[in-house]
Amino acid sequence: MFDPGPIPGKRLLRIRLNGRWREDAVADDQLLVDYLRDTAGLTGTKTGCDGGECGACTVLVDDEPIPSCLTLAARCEGRSVETIEGLAAGGRLHRLQQAFHEKLGAQCGFCTPGMIMAAEGLLRRQPDPSEAEIRAALAGNLCRCTGYVKIVESVRAAAAADA
Amino acid sequence: MTAPLPLPRLRLIRPTTVEAAVAARVECPQHEVLAGGTDLLVNLRRGLLAPPALIDITGIAELDEVRTTADRTRIGALVRLDRLAEDPAIASRHAALREAAVAVAAPGHRRLATVGGNLCLQTRCIYVNQSAWWRAAHGACLKSGGEVCHVAPEGARCHAAFSGDVAPALIALDAEIEIAGPAGRRRVACADLYHEEGRAHLRLDSGEIVTAIEVPTSIAHSGYLKERIRRSFDFPLAGVAIACRTEGAELSALRIAVTGTNSRPLLIEGTDALLGRRIDESVLAAAEKLVARQVRPMRTTLFPANHRRSVAAALARRLLGALGAPDAAAGRGHAGGTA
Amino acid sequence: MPTLAGTRDGVPLIDGIDKVTGRARYTADLDHRGAFVGRMLRSPCSHGQITRLDVERARQLPGVVAVLTGEDFRVPYGVLPIAMNEYPLARGKVRYRGEPVAAVAAIDAETAERALSLIELDVRELPAYYEAAEARAADAVRIHDDKPGNLEREVHHTFGDVAAGFAAADLVREELIDCAEINHAQIEPHAALAEFDPFTNRLTMQSVSQVTFYLHLMLARCLEMDESRIRVIKPFVGGGFGARVEVLNFELVTAMLARAAGGKVAMELSREETFITHRARPQTRIRLKLGLGRDGRLRACECEVVQRGGAYAGYGVITILYAGSLLHGLYDLPAVKYDGYRVYTNTPPCGAMRGHGSVDTRHAFEVLLDRMARELGLDPFEVRRRNLLHAPTRTLNELAIMSYGLAECLDRVESASGWKARRGRLPHGKGLGMACSHYVSGAAKPIHWTGEPHAVVNVKVDWDGSVTAFTGAADIGQGSSTMVAIAVAETLGLPIEQVRVIAADSATTPKDNGAYSSRITFMVGNAAIDAARRLRGMLTEAAARRLDCDPADVECAGGRFHVTGATDRGITFEEAVKAALVDQGTLTVKGTFTCPPEAQGGKHRGGAVGSTMGFSYAAQVVEVSVDEDTGQVTVDRVWVALDCGFAINPLAVRGQIEGAVWMGMGQALMEETRYLNGMPAHASFLEYRMPTSLDSPPIDAQIVESIDPNGPFGAKEASEGALASFAPALVAAIADAVGVDLDELPATPDRILDALVARRRRQRLDAVAGGGR
Ligand SMILES: Cc1cc2nc3c(=O)[nH]c(=O)nc-3n(C[C@H](O)[C@H](O)[C@H](O)COP(=O)(O)OP(=O)(O)OC[C@H]3O[C@@H](n4cnc5c(N)ncnc54)[C@H](O)[C@@H]3O)c2cc1C
Ligand code: SF4
Ligand code: FES
Ligand code: FES
Repeated sequence: MFDPGPIPGKRLLRIRLNGRWREDAVADDQLLVDYLRDTAGLTGTKTGCDGGECGACTVLVDDEPIPSCLTLAARCEGRSVETIEGLAAGGRLHRLQQAFHEKLGAQCGFCTPGMIMAAEGLLRRQPDPSEAEIRAALAGNLCRCTGYVKIVESVRAAAAADA
Repeated sequence: MTAPLPLPRLRLIRPTTVEAAVAARVECPQHEVLAGGTDLLVNLRRGLLAPPALIDITGIAELDEVRTTADRTRIGALVRLDRLAEDPAIASRHAALREAAVAVAAPGHRRLATVGGNLCLQTRCIYVNQSAWWRAAHGACLKSGGEVCHVAPEGARCHAAFSGDVAPALIALDAEIEIAGPAGRRRVACADLYHEEGRAHLRLDSGEIVTAIEVPTSIAHSGYLKERIRRSFDFPLAGVAIACRTEGAELSALRIAVTGTNSRPLLIEGTDALLGRRIDESVLAAAEKLVARQVRPMRTTLFPANHRRSVAAALARRLLGALGAPDAAAGRGHAGGTA
Repeated sequence: MPTLAGTRDGVPLIDGIDKVTGRARYTADLDHRGAFVGRMLRSPCSHGQITRLDVERARQLPGVVAVLTGEDFRVPYGVLPIAMNEYPLARGKVRYRGEPVAAVAAIDAETAERALSLIELDVRELPAYYEAAEARAADAVRIHDDKPGNLEREVHHTFGDVAAGFAAADLVREELIDCAEINHAQIEPHAALAEFDPFTNRLTMQSVSQVTFYLHLMLARCLEMDESRIRVIKPFVGGGFGARVEVLNFELVTAMLARAAGGKVAMELSREETFITHRARPQTRIRLKLGLGRDGRLRACECEVVQRGGAYAGYGVITILYAGSLLHGLYDLPAVKYDGYRVYTNTPPCGAMRGHGSVDTRHAFEVLLDRMARELGLDPFEVRRRNLLHAPTRTLNELAIMSYGLAECLDRVESASGWKARRGRLPHGKGLGMACSHYVSGAAKPIHWTGEPHAVVNVKVDWDGSVTAFTGAADIGQGSSTMVAIAVAETLGLPIEQVRVIAADSATTPKDNGAYSSRITFMVGNAAIDAARRLRGMLTEAAARRLDCDPADVECAGGRFHVTGATDRGITFEEAVKAALVDQGTLTVKGTFTCPPEAQGGKHRGGAVGSTMGFSYAAQVVEVSVDEDTGQVTVDRVWVALDCGFAINPLAVRGQIEGAVWMGMGQALMEETRYLNGMPAHASFLEYRMPTSLDSPPIDAQIVESIDPNGPFGAKEASEGALASFAPALVAAIADAVGVDLDELPATPDRILDALVARRRRQRLDAVAGGGR
């Protein structure tokens, strides 16, 4: 019959997820994106490809946007992970969310969480980015609906808005 | 937990010293080294390899350092590509290295990707960089455990193309690679890290890992140009790095290296014949010809081999021309990309 | 010109906040608790007879709850009632690599994968054909027994006197143009979630569909279930572009697995599988001949189109008909001969994609027209202006043109791009090109003709004063629910926030044919207005009773009903509702829309395809830079104008225009699906290259409003019409930049370099020949 294969290692993962510390037992082979969606139940982070080719899974790890399908959950021990669900606070949309909503930066919305997290990473580093910097920062995030025009506009509007 | 293409079951080993990492590799040579993971995790999900464990070396602090001295820059294997792209010291000392680093994938990848991982990147071919279903349905090739190469069925070797962007820059810059193994550390010229064989392009012995790169500052002018279809995450169809030095107006050093066309990053031979000459039309034509003659692109991508060859040659001419121009920094880099 | 209250800049999507907060649940985000995992085994072989399919070992594997093969599906499916030749799992024969042959449901993904590996499949291989020409060869074996020559459909249409037209032309030219097969590549991979309740025998299906009604029909058909026991709900959908306008194999398989397992089954396809599911724009070869007078007037057109359709019928018949019928309707064409061939091949089935059927022939037409204008020394804008239509009119093939804003589109982009001042004056390597296109606002004849109205919308108003519109229309990101909200709010004089929209749940919303052929704004929009007007009528009567006046004297505006000319004599909307509810209770009204028979096309065979209530029109100018060393083409800027009749939501219209232009750009510049012995070589976003933010230019999108007499508030479609003019404008711009005429799409660097090399060779030969004389 079949060979069930080696049992993956499991370890206790302590991470700060959207500002709150939590602990979970995770398998060594669990991707960060699967941890977020399946273990933490945060389905705002999307999966659009078979690995590293769309950016829909982009989240912030220690303030830096990375594709969460290209790293292991276990490697985020002790780090801060932020997802789209962590942005709105106190009953107010985050300025990028407000701008993407008002400027139609989201059509079908599937690329949007990844797009917004990539843009948020940019704004934390560079609060007043040029159009070229915005386009460069979003270059790993595919969108099939917008042609990026209104996405770039949204990021500019968010940068211009007060934090 | 229904997502398709999960990782195969595996364990993670997390050494904190080079010695421990080497020991883990020696203990089980099937274990794979995990650095940024941007290449390895994708390959694992597609079933290209199935190691029992990954040796995650990112906990080894020593490997994450950049140190500069007057005549060299030492870069740890774990230094991330975004850092190479942004570090002003790298930009001013080794333009080709910076330009190659920003040409890799997209910004999110570069925040994970390491320079060591980029050097050790698996070779690529349209017949193997596919899902396990794909390879099984199509029929395996030499690299995936089969009997024949679909690209060159008459031959006995694999032509999968080395497609890293950083290696040609380091080769052009005459960098050395530091390798740690069971017998201690050794150094090789960057070009000597590679074989012309797509199945086993790295000349690393069992148990060895790359620990650092040392780049001399002796070659002042350098640059990297990359041909790809789009300006972000696209492996090079061809990439050309050139480093040169001029004394007066004459060339006193010239190194050209090409990626994407062979199973290794290729150091172009015969450039010494151009030393002592000014960078004029005849030198540019000669450089173009040297590249066109030596690169060996095969049908490992969807884009025709002859296109990759002629573009590699054209990029070499353009880049050398730009490096020879009075203000060497300006006027180049269309496809070099800023992504 | 009508204006909608408060919406002249446009309004954000009513579900926008869900999308930007990550709250929006797409199919893969739904509650999967307790769900089994579904997976499919796919054929490794391009064409062959299944000689053995043994699933016993898979069935025995602990944790496996259901295993299916083609034997479990007795009835074929397909989007066209006349061409249902596909089974959710292959029966007897496999016809393309990747075709699903068996399926399992198991307690987890690992077990499901393992079960697949235990299935034994033997196939006796048959010759396979990957190109249309091979499949049409005289000695080719049949992919479908009933289709000799592997022809799915031939179309031969002639309108007008073509021979006389060519005889009268001063310039006749013919070109062969090749367009690569491309894919929708929506970012959301395919997924479905089906739940079967074994106690009540009811099925609930949630999926990525654009056509929930067709899905409902096909589920009933293939599962041989009573329609009334099925409920189809559309969650958020991450883009469609046509990928999901027909029912797809995995949807039917997931439902069947759920029934077999007596529970809930979730199926998520990988990106590779999503590509293999395909149904997109076929590889197309166009042989086009045009006759032009010296005055630039079109005299005759002869067009032959061959489409590599893939292994099953899908929408193929419609696609090959569209390719011919939409030669008409853009310009005044006095004579047209069209021959279309839709060919079966051993590749994944093609289908409908944004601009369905029209894009590649439009590309060829515009490219050739441009080249001939150049030969005649005519400006590209001028040659188009000489051939404009005048609405209302009917085309040779009986398409009704009720509004026509192309002339204004031309003026707008000509001036915005600085065409007159810049064309021909850019440095070598830079160029400008232009082209036009159009598209239907909904097929006037639906695929499943039942005699019902084309669209139905219900509107409910209750004691709390809230207004809820119920529509079966599938919002897949294009903003159709927002459009419905605006239409209802505007008609009732309410702010849009007061209107809720419930969409695409067969248990609560009226049937709708779905999101295809850009039908929703026109048809559902009109039905929504109709429903809201009826409601307004009832409320007006109630208000008149309260105000003690004649209903004809009551006006409805700004959330109030008041006596005409006496704004102080009025009651609020809520008061009017309360008054109307007396004796009646909760009000639910129905609005409908039906396309009149005159709009439903000609009587010739296939004449319904292309018929519509209104065409959108577009013109665009593209500016490029071409690198002659590497063949790289950079799109620097785009100016586009689209006549959408009237922009109900200008923000959304602009978004649609930009998206369409950009998608046209992807097809023109880099997108391409290719096969290696029938294996998809492009089934990832690395190999299927769509433009990134760094490849994408600024797009100057302008809206032209021709006010269609039948459109809702005068509106027509806005999301497809601008796509098809990008590629020909690009090819013209490349010709302007470096003097090569590209006959192939996409304009990848290798093709550009090849064309440049060929031109240099020709020039050398010409020089030698010239020197020798
Ligand atoms: C969508 C996409 C696009 C890409 N585009 C490009 C591109 O344009 N150009 C490009 O160059 N790359 C590209 N890559 C590949 C990859 O992201 C980079 O090459 C990256 O630099 C690899 O580094 P890493 O640290 O992530 O390597 P890993 O994935 O961790 O490792 C890569 C390989 O090197 C081995 N390895 C890593 N470190 C060491 C070491 N110190 N000693 C010995 N062996 C080691 C690993 O075992 C593995 O086999 C792309 C990847 C993706 C997913
Ligand atoms: S070059 Fe040949 S052997 Fe190597 S991966 Fe490609 S097909 Fe396989
Ligand atoms: S899911 Fe596509 S990049 Fe992570
Ligand atoms: S909004 Fe649909 S993919 Fe970006």
